[in-house]
This record gives sequence, structure tokens and C-alpha cells, in this order.
Amino acid sequence: MYIWIPHLLTDWLEVRKPELRGRPVIIRCRQHGRVIISAANTAAKKQGIFCGMTEADAKAIVPGLQAFDEIPGKEAQLLNAIGEWCIRFTPTVAVDMPDGLILDMSGCAHLWGGEEAYLKDLHTRLHNRGYDTCIAIADTIGVAWAMARFGGNGSIIAPQQHTAALLQLPPQALRLEEAVLERLRKVGFRRIAQFAGIKRAALRRRFGDILLQRMDEATGVILETINPLQPIAAYEERLACLEPIRTATGISIAIQKLLYQLCTRLHNEGKGLRYAVLRCYRVDHQIISTEIGTHRSSVNTDHLFKLFELKIPLLAPGLGIELFILEATIVEDMPPAQEALWRITTGNMESAEVAELIDRITGKISGAGISRYLPQEHYWPERAIKATRSLQEKPGTEWRCDRPRPTQLLANPEPIQVTVPVPDYPPMLFIYKSQLHNIKKADGPERIEREWWLEDGELRDYYTVEDEHGQRYWLFRSGAYSGNRTSEWFIHGFFA
Amino acid sequence: MSYAELQVTSNFSFLRGGSHPEELAEQAAAYGYTAIAITDRNTVAGLVRAHIAAKRHGVRFIPACRLDLADGPSLLAYPTSKNGWERLCKLLTTGNLRTEKGKCELYVRDVFACAEDLKFILIPPDTLNEHFDFDGSFKKSIDEYKQVIGQHLYVAAACTYTGDDAKRLFRISQLNIPMVATNDVHYHSDSRRQLQDVLTCVREKCTIHTAGFRLNKNAERFLKPVSEMQRLFRLYPEAIARSVEIADACKFSLDDLKYIYPEEITTEGRTPQEELIYLTWKGARERFHAGIPDKIRATIEFELEFIERKNYAAYFLTVHDLVRFARSKDILCQGRGSAANSVVCYCLGVTSVDPSRFNLLFARFMSDARNEPPDIDVDFEHERREEVIQYIYDKYGRDRAGIVATVTQERYKGAIRDVGKAMGLSADTISRLSGTVWSYSSETFDRERIIANGLNPDDRQLAKVLELTDQLIGFPRQLGQHTGGFVITQYKLTNLCPILNARMENRTCIEWNKDDIEALGFMKIDVLALGMLTCIRKAFDLVQQHYGTHLTLANIPQDVTGVYDMICDADTVGVFQIESRAQMSMLPRLKPREFYDLVIEVAIVRPGPIQGDMVHPYLRRRDGKEPVEFPSEALRGILGRTKGVPLFQEQAMEIAIVAADFTHTEADELRRSMATFKAKGKVSVLREKLVAGMMKNGYTEEFAGRVFKQIEGFGSYGFPESHAISFALLAYISSYLKWRYPDVFAAALLNSQPMGFYQPAQIVIDAQRHGVDVLPADVNHSAWDNTLTGFTGTSYALRLGFRQIKGMNEESAHAIVAARNQPYTSMQQLQDAGVPQEAIEKLADADAFRSLGMDRRNAWWEVPALQDAPTGIYQGQYSESATEPQMQLPFMPSAEHVFEDYAVTGLSLKAHPVSFVREKLLMLGITSTADLSTAGDGATVKVAGLILVRQRPGTASGICFITIEDERGIANLVVFRKLFDKYRKEILQSKLLMVEGKVQVEGKVIHVVVQRCVNLNKLFADIPITGHNGPALTLSRADEKTDKPDERTITGKTENDVFYKGRNFR
Repeated sequence: MYIWIPHLLTDWLEVRKPELRGRPVIIRCRQHGRVIISAANTAAKKQGIFCGMTEADAKAIVPGLQAFDEIPGKEAQLLNAIGEWCIRFTPTVAVDMPDGLILDMSGCAHLWGGEEAYLKDLHTRLHNRGYDTCIAIADTIGVAWAMARFGGNGSIIAPQQHTAALLQLPPQALRLEEAVLERLRKVGFRRIAQFAGIKRAALRRRFGDILLQRMDEATGVILETINPLQPIAAYEERLACLEPIRTATGISIAIQKLLYQLCTRLHNEGKGLRYAVLRCYRVDHQIISTEIGTHRSSVNTDHLFKLFELKIPLLAPGLGIELFILEATIVEDMPPAQEALWRITTGNMESAEVAELIDRITGKISGAGISRYLPQEHYWPERAIKATRSLQEKPGTEWRCDRPRPTQLLANPEPIQVTVPVPDYPPMLFIYKSQLHNIKKADGPERIEREWWLEDGELRDYYTVEDEHGQRYWLFRSGAYSGNRTSEWFIHGFFA
Repeated sequence: MSYAELQVTSNFSFLRGGSHPEELAEQAAAYGYTAIAITDRNTVAGLVRAHIAAKRHGVRFIPACRLDLADGPSLLAYPTSKNGWERLCKLLTTGNLRTEKGKCELYVRDVFACAEDLKFILIPPDTLNEHFDFDGSFKKSIDEYKQVIGQHLYVAAACTYTGDDAKRLFRISQLNIPMVATNDVHYHSDSRRQLQDVLTCVREKCTIHTAGFRLNKNAERFLKPVSEMQRLFRLYPEAIARSVEIADACKFSLDDLKYIYPEEITTEGRTPQEELIYLTWKGARERFHAGIPDKIRATIEFELEFIERKNYAAYFLTVHDLVRFARSKDILCQGRGSAANSVVCYCLGVTSVDPSRFNLLFARFMSDARNEPPDIDVDFEHERREEVIQYIYDKYGRDRAGIVATVTQERYKGAIRDVGKAMGLSADTISRLSGTVWSYSSETFDRERIIANGLNPDDRQLAKVLELTDQLIGFPRQLGQHTGGFVITQYKLTNLCPILNARMENRTCIEWNKDDIEALGFMKIDVLALGMLTCIRKAFDLVQQHYGTHLTLANIPQDVTGVYDMICDADTVGVFQIESRAQMSMLPRLKPREFYDLVIEVAIVRPGPIQGDMVHPYLRRRDGKEPVEFPSEALRGILGRTKGVPLFQEQAMEIAIVAADFTHTEADELRRSMATFKAKGKVSVLREKLVAGMMKNGYTEEFAGRVFKQIEGFGSYGFPESHAISFALLAYISSYLKWRYPDVFAAALLNSQPMGFYQPAQIVIDAQRHGVDVLPADVNHSAWDNTLTGFTGTSYALRLGFRQIKGMNEESAHAIVAARNQPYTSMQQLQDAGVPQEAIEKLADADAFRSLGMDRRNAWWEVPALQDAPTGIYQGQYSESATEPQMQLPFMPSAEHVFEDYAVTGLSLKAHPVSFVREKLLMLGITSTADLSTAGDGATVKVAGLILVRQRPGTASGICFITIEDERGIANLVVFRKLFDKYRKEILQSKLLMVEGKVQVEGKVIHVVVQRCVNLNKLFADIPITGHNGPALTLSRADEKTDKPDERTITGKTENDVFYKGRNFR
């Protein structure tokens, strides 16, 4: 059986944006600097728009045309999803890029009461989900493909009749490339029947092996194979208990067992766990749950258990728990670690021990206590750093070392009183938290403008100053000096 | 105290500087700077503009350049004398020619080689290292520099508020090189920071959000008041003083550049003037066989005297030299332009318009008041212009001749794209925004349209984008090469200006554009290409070959009645200039009977007179329906020739001078400012001035307004009388050829394609209509070009050439002809002759095997089998096909043949596609186009045909003109805007369009005013055709878009479309 979804992408769009239904919609892509239409829905096609047209031309014809950018790989993703959904009809489903699915329905149709009902059910269900389909059933993939496209919707070719059906179709039904079709067209062949009887050698000389191969595939002389889809099972382990469990020890054992099973599977698939949820089903039909997260993907059962161990006291077993389900909600690829010949101690970030330590601390103080700071490409000090939780995240840019920056930056600059000579000399003294600091040395100003595309406001003139105790501060004046008003001064950070 | 800014980056350092050179010079003058230098990166392209602006605003300008070196820190170079400037230009030329266009590759050793008479300022690195000092590598370079250019070396110090300014200044002062204060200026005012950030994003191909540290931290790189600079350098006052010191030492000004005409143009030791006098009289005696008339003699003497006074002799001689060369190579050429209508030019052979027939005084246009170089553009055959260009390079050398640059400016669409992209707008928002502007003439944002496009003009981001786009418009974006303007000098061109490689092979350009060189008084010669000259030359050759008559531009019989009869009938397909739809509908109304009528005809159908509403008054006066009167006696002299209606560009200029008291310069500026769309706001000032001036002198406001509108139209599409005369001559010559030798004309026109407005099919149909037999292309009869064969009593038959076959290459065509000792009898022989398989396929496509007894279907069956023909030692043996049983291929109906013909050659000699559906059309009550004339004015008719051309001229307020063709002729349709909007889909999609409308007969011009359109494509679909999409028969690609009315036509569809890409009327 072959399912052709002629408007895959636009159908999907219309499902997501119901307001588009019935209006002309196209998907566009860039090709050699031109914007070409790569897909169009029925409404658009009715108005004379076809794939391969440039967007500008299409818009000239249909001014109200809705255009969307192509998302690379979207067809494959959609077909996979629909294919997986189709597994309820047959275990063997294959994707046929760019807009079809192949279903091996041998031995399935009788469950629906015959091929006709089977086809109709499938068609209706896909239709209800918003996908317009053309479906055909035939003995070979080639003929099913051809009938879905050229034989009218819902064609069912009786066993052994496929060759006869094929002969009535145009040469395009043979899945040939454009150049071969063009040659067939030029010599006037409009039906496969017109050349099916010609000597194979004569055909091969003119149209190449491919024509003969396609004909053989369609008639079944050559067997075509498909690559069936395999659905990915969720990373989930369950443990049912004979007796309801009420003790911490019992819960620990259950968690350990589940973790062992889960981690073994993850390890075998080269994955590692980042987030996991434990759900406990109690006898009183309550579900209690807890979750853990790690800073780098892990399959270390001991470590993961330690994280859960911290949570066990928080679980109230009530009258007892009869089912545990452990699900890894976020899983990342974990490249197999190279066995080190010598233990190299540099690069703490990379080592699993540090990550595990941080996991445990985070688990204990529950949450936001630990952040890592990464540099960002902004001059504006507040935006120059960014907090992150991940240990793996690579900084997008290098730390800048050419300008001194304070080791401690105040989240919000705090106002100070200053005595300062005009126009842009550093202050002579400043008062911060009622404490007077006499400035002995100073450097600056460093003028940093607002990032005008983000916000409006005053620029800042930063000064690095040192008081009589040798302590250094980062001060700034808000706004450039102007004679007719007093400037506001702030402290923004402390140097070591 | 005083200060001179020596480090300035203008926007000619593309995508770096944020201000025009003019703005920088003006601002420097306003702050009272002693001097300002412009130091763009490895270029001097912006200097002339700054120089002119500085002169106007009264600040001294120092031409200079920043040298970015591949192996050392950058230097700023300032010529102290003319010699220094020459060195600098030589240096830049070396760097430019070493690499591709747009780049300059310079090394320290190049600088050392050209260091004489230059002062240098060294640019220290932006940052200090962790020891708060400069890196060792920089210090090492300094030592190297110091050794060679010791006493002329300075170091730049800038206070840009980076936080360590004090440390930097201290370190710079320690370098033991005199320190000069600069401000590393990138824009004239700090308000340009945002624009400069956007430019940085465009340069770095990122958005403002991802640009990060590639932007500048603050906006300090602007021109600051002198007092502020002094304050910043209060610890180092000598740095400020030194800037003035350097400025004083740099005595060189661009005014010192003296253009010197080349010397090779004279013979026998004569001076240029003597040579010119000698050649002119020599030419005059040849031109006027019967003796030179007294009037001409006087004019020549007057002109020669004028030329001597202005010292233009060398210019005329240079042009003459080119023309002489072209003539010696049998390349047709013709001069035009203000100076080209002189009798001297006629005598020199530059033009072929006999001046004794006109009362054209070239001095009127080139009066003493207008002190600018003369202007002669010379058109050459477009296929052979390169020979002339290479001749110039050969004769004068690449170091003495160069093509003038054109500065490509940011226009609205480019600017909105650049800014939008940099600001992170999505592609569709950008395309919507660029659709909100109506035309080039009004490059401003229309709030209404922005809202109509679903955008909010008050949105913060969008408002910013619009604001920045506004600033960016007019910025130079790149240097291109002018279409053919040459500067030729006596000494090395590098003494004046650097030379760079052009994008095209074998071309070198200079960095300045035509305004720049005009301002400096350099001479420029335009070497342009004209397709019609190629066509005429080919026609002359064919006439010589087949009719034995030797024709030249000058010896074509003038004033032949038959030619004018033909022109009056608007039978002008293929004729130069007067072949467009608009021209053709004007011809029967204007009824040209003499040459000057043609001149007017050429000039009148142009945006200038149309926008100025001058066409109808002229026609009425010509028909005697309205008296010829003049707005004032003063204007009688100007407008006498054109019945009181200004039609030519210079007439409008002269009106401004005579009637509104403009000076020559002002009038010229008026025209120019129209041409440069940048002059926003200025236009209305000029309008007021003109109208007020004219009203003061007693003209009506209405007339003044029309004159202004006309000047506005002339700005972009100017047609001065002298051009019109030159073009009219070509129009007459091509008409004559068409009238006298229709066979020759059609062949020459086809052999010169692509050119003109018409597709091969129309040219062929037109030839057939004039009684020429046209034969199809055939392997046994055709050559690459279309040829003439077999005299049939009145004319030769036209044998189509292989060049009409789409995708056929010239080489294969020649191979076929070369091996055709005796007629081919099999396809195999062609392959043995070395014709590639693809070419044979194309021939089969074109049905060119008929003489072998194969129609295209049989040929197609054979072609693919050729690929395994016997080769090697078996070559010449029978191919396997010979032993195959005979195949009965499906029959190919003639309709299908015709459609295939159209697909491959754009024309069919077998039948017209519409003839296959004629019966059905008759049943629908649709008349043929040929019967329209009998229908009578006002009758309602239905007519159908293939769309040849769709056009919506900008001057016709949304009216769409369509030409359709059926098997008996063509019909001209007029669709008003409302109907167009209603039937746009039919009009744009139809291959076969049926319209119902009213016939409008005006003299011999018949239009159908459309009331209803129907797409009849399906009639074609019913014809049994093997194509999978039905017949691919869209004949026209000339469509239009409503949201972009400035592009009056758009190109149509895709591969699916065929064939003749209707050329678009202007």
C-alpha cells in the first residue's frame, strides 16, 4: 500500500494555523538567490500556482498569498511521525521521501474487514488529522506508487492485475528522472503500453538501464525492499511490588533496581541521563513524585542514587507504594570516555567528579545557589556575563582581559556621593554606605554607551579608583559631564 | 589655537565610515579647523567630493590616504607636493593591480619604494598588552619605519575614552616619534554612531544583536570642537600643534592636478589646433563635393575659433582618432552629444548628420558661459566595441588610459535590505518594507503603505530601521566601471589618480567617477555600444554581398517618400527607436514627412515631454487645430522649431535661463539634481525658484509648472536635440533598409539579436508580411547566421540559421558547415564530423533533419541511439540501429510540431498556434485581429490571441497595454486600472487571452478598450499534445507588478514558460 500526501507541508501548516484553511498558502525556499515555491496547497494550486515558480511571480498572480519559509528536514520529520502513527495499521511502515509512506499490509487488512475498509479507515483518519492523502493498494511498491499518483484515489489493484494496470499509466508513473521522461515524451510515448512491447535492447540503448529496471520493479520481476521505521521506546522502567512498600529502605532498593535497569539500557545505547522523574503510585491512588537533574549526562548508578537518596525523606509513602516508574525525561548522547593512560589533572570542568560534586551540592541546597558565569559579547557590564547551569556549555566568546574588570560586580549599581573636579576627571573622594573613601589613584574614564538597539538612556563613564587603604573600586558617572546639572555617581564593583 | 584633523574615515571606506566626505568637510569648516584630511583605506575615491565641499565651505583640504599594509602597522600618508601625490597614486596602483577588484594588497617595501615627498603618521594598535605597553612586534616595525622614513614619520594619538587613554598617550609619547593628535574620525557627528554600527554589521555579515565586540564601545569618533581636542590633549599640547604643522607642510591640493591632452593625435609636427584645422578642411572638401557652401564655411571658421579659444582641439582630435580607427576596421560608429552636432564633427566623420540641413549651432549649447569640457559620446557596434576599447589601451598604454569609475550608491531597496538585515528583521518584513516605496523619484516612506502592509511604523525597532535607512540612502557602496567613459592623458595616469582592475577581464579603471573628473577638468570620451549599429553593419554587408551596392551611413538616399510612407503606417517592427508600441501609436498621428519630424518623433515619446504634458499641444499645433503661439517673444527663438512647445532637454534648460533668470550653472544644476534622487527636499526649492522666476517675468504659473515637470522628467531620461538627431538618423537608415531590402533587414536583425523590442517570431512574421520567403533551419542548408538564398524576383529567401535554435552553440554550427562537402544523408555523419551529441539533440528538437527525410519524432528516436555508435577501430561501421526493426512511432500532429517549434526556436514557419483553435474561436464569436479595422469605431468585439507584451508604463497611471497576436496579425489592447485589478489573474496567466471590448479607431491606430478578459488556455489543452503540462505556450515574459511600479515590467515565469521573452517597452 502506498500513501501519497501531496500537500504534506501545507497540510501541516493548516493544522497548526487553522485560519489558513482555504486560503492560498505556499512554502518557499532559496535557490541560487531566487525565492522558489517548494510547496503549495490546493487553494494556491487552483489559482494557477505551481512548485518551482518564483515567489514574486506567484504574488503577482495572487496578491493575498501567504508565504512561509521552508524548514529544512521538516518533511522527513513529519513523515516519520505519520509513519509511526501508522504502525497501528501494520508493523511495517517505511518513509518514501519526500511525500509518501509505504505500508506492507500483508495479513493486516482482514482485521479491518477487507482491503476496502482498511484503506477507507486509514484515509478517513488521516483526513481527520488534516492530511489530504491519495492511497493505492497493489502487489508491488512500484505500481502502488504509480496508482496513488496517477490512478485516482483509493485504487485497489487486485492480485496479479498490477501489470495490466501499469500499462495504462503515463511514463511518469515509472519513477523516472526528468531527462528520461523528456526523451520518452519526445518520441510520443504517452502510455507505458506504447513501449512496453519494444525490444529491451532497443529501449536500453535509448533510455538507459534505469527504464528497464523501473519497469521490472513495477512488474515484480525485481524485488524492491523497504527500510521500515522503528519507533523509539521511552526511557522508562517500572517496578511493581507484591507488597506495598512503606519504608525508606524499601524505596531505596526500588530506586536502585530501577536505576540499574535504566542505566544499563542508556549505557548500551551510548546515552546519558540529565533529568529523571520518579513516580510512586500509592495504594490510596495518590501519585507522588520527585526528580533529579545532573550537570552532565551520567549513567553512574551510585551517583544518581545519591541524588535520589537526598529526596527519599521527602517522599511520603502513606499506606504504601505499589508501583514505581522511573523515567529519564532528558537524555543526552554520552560519547564513550577515552580511558586515560595517565591521569591528567588539568581541566577540572571536564572531570566527572566535579560535576557529581556540584550535582550533590545543588541537590542539597535545592536550586539556584550555584551558577557558572560565561562571557557574552556586550560592552554594557550588566550584559557582559551570563549565568548558566550547564557545565558543558562552551562560552560563545573569550573572556576579555584587555580592560580591568572587578572581581565582584554588584547586581545593581548603588549610588554614592562624590567630590569631583570637572569635566571628566576622576573623583577625589566618595562616600559609600556612610563610609568616606579618599581616592589616591585613579584611571579612566572608560566611556561605555548604551546598546541603542536594546534600550535608551545615559552612557556611563567608568573609573577604576584606589582609596587610601589600597582597596579598589569601580565607579561610574551616569551621563557625560555637562555644565548645567550635577551628575549622578554609582559604585558598580569591587576589585580584589 | 588651531587644529587640523588628519585621520578621517569617510564612507568611501565602504561599510566603515558613517558620513559623506562632503558632510565631514562641512563640519570641519563649521568648527573652524585649520585643515581636514580624508584618509580612506587604500583608496582616494572620495577625495574629490571632499575637496569640492571644502572649497565651498572655506576649509583647507588635504588629500591623503590610509595605507593598510599586509605586513606592518597601518600608515596615514600625506603628499607634501605634487610629486608626493604621484608617488601615492603609484603606490596604490601597485597594490590595486596586484589583486582582484575591490582589494588592495600593499607591503611595507612598496611604501618604502614610494616614500618620497610623503609624510606618514603611524597608527598604533588599539590595545595595550598586559604590561600596559605596546607589543614587541609593533616596536620592531617602528624601528624599521624609522630607519627609512625617519624624519617624515609621526605617530597618531587618539583619545577615544577607551579607559586607558592616559596610559596610551604616555606610551605613545615614549616611542621617540613625534606625536600627532587625531580623533580617528568615522562620522561627522556622534548621531551617526547607530548608522556606523549598522554598517559594521553589514560588513561583518552579522546582526546588531550578534555583532558584540565588533562594534565600537562608544560614539567618540566624531569631529569634535577644537577646544575639546585641546582639552583632551592638555598634557600634550605639542601633539595639537603638530597637526597644524603637518597640515602646513602638505602644500598639495587637488587643484594642482593638471590634465594634459595626449600628443599622439597630431601628425607632421602640427600643433593640435593646426592639425584640427587641417583635418576639418580636408574633411569638408570630401563631404561637400560640390564645394563648401559659404554658410558652412563661416560656421566652420566660427567653430574652429571657438575651439581654439577654449583649447578643445586635442579633444576633437582624440575622438577623431577613435573614429578613424573604427572606420579602418569597418566598425560602424556615430557620435552624439552636445559637441557632436558641430560642423567640425561632421567634417571629421564623427557624425553623419549633414549640418547644412539643420540650423543647429553647437555653440549655443557650449557657450563661453558654460566652462566645462565638451561632450561627445561615440556609439560603436555592440559586438565590436571591445576592439575599440583595446585599441585605446594599446595605443596609449594601460598607464595612460583608464575607464572612469561609477560609484554605486545605496538605493532605497538595497538600503532597507542592509539595514533590515543588520537590525535582525525577518526576510518577509524586509520585502514588505521594500514594497512600500512607489518609485525612485519618491524615495521616502509612505506611512499609509507601511500600515497597509501590516506593519506598524511606530514600532520602536521599525521606526529605527526606517530612520537609519533614510540616512543610508545615497551612501556609496562600491566602485563599478562606467559604461565606456575613458580618460586618456599625455603622461602617466597614475600621476593623477590610482588605477584599479575592473571586474571584467582586460579592463582597468580609475577611482574617480565622471563628476569627479569633470570637477577637476579632465577630458572624458564615451565609447558606448549600440546594438542597432551592429545590425546596420550586417545589413550593409549583406546588401554588398547580394545586391552589390555599397552603402554607408552617409550615402543612404535621404528623404525617400516610400520610407516615410512606411513610417506613417507605423510599419516599423525592428526599426531603431520608433519600433515601440508607444512610438508606433504616435507615428500615424505625427505623420513624419521629413527628417526633422523623425527627430521630434524620437524625442516626443519620452517621459520628459509626456510628464510635462507637451505631447498633445504639439500634435494639435502640428495638425493646425491650435495656433502656434509663444509664451513670450523671448522664447520664440528657443521654441520656434517645435511650434512653441518645448520638447528637447536643452529647450527646457534655455527656458529656465531666459524666462526665469537662471544662470547656466543653475540651470544645469537643476537638471542634475533631478537626476540624483538623493537631492530630496532640494527639488521643491528649485521648483519654487523656477516658478517664481518665470512668474516674475510674466509667464503663467501653469506654463511654469509644466516646464518644471518636464525638467523633472528629463532628469532621468534626458533627450537633448543633438541626441535625438543622431538617433533619428539611425531610425531613418534602419527604416530605409527595411523598406528597400526587407530580406536583408530581417536577416541582419535576427543576426544581431538580442536587441530591440521584438522577438525573432515577430521579425520573421513581419518579413513574411513584406513578401520575404522564410525557410526553416536545416542541417543541409543553414549556417550559424541567418542567410539569404535564392532570389525570388523581388527579394531573396531568408534561410534561418542555427543561431535561432535555443541552446545551439556556435562552434557546433561551424563544424556542421565545415564538414558539409556533400549533403548529409544520415545522423551518423554528423557525429563523425565532430558535432557533439547535445548539438544533434538540439537540431532534432528544432526539426532540422527534414532534408534527411526525418521529422523531429524520428530524429528523436535516432539521437539517443547515437551514443553507442561504433567507435575506435569500428568507426564508420554500421550502427546497431541499422539492423533494428523499423519502429512505428506515434504520429505527431502538426499542432504539436508548431508548439515544439515555438519551444525551441521561438517561432514556427508551419503555422500559427492560434490557427489550430480558430474554428472553436469562430464558434465563440471571436473575430480575427485582421477584421478589427472593418469593425468600425465604437463597435464591441471579441478578439483572442497569444500575449506578446504586457506593459504598464509609469507615465500611464496604471493603464496596462497588451499586445496580442493571432495568425492574421496583432491587436493592441488597453486595460484600465480598475479592470486590470479585476482581471489580473487572467492577464498574467493566460497564454491565449480572449478579450471583449470596444474598438477605438484614431486615424490608423486601432485599440481595443478592454471590458472583459477570459483565459482560453484550455482550448490549447484540448489539442492532442504529448506534453505533460499541455502546451507550454506563454509567449510573453513581460509582466508587471503593482507594488513596484518603477520596474515597469517584470520578467515572467519559469522553465515552464516558453519562449519568446517579450522585450519590454520603455
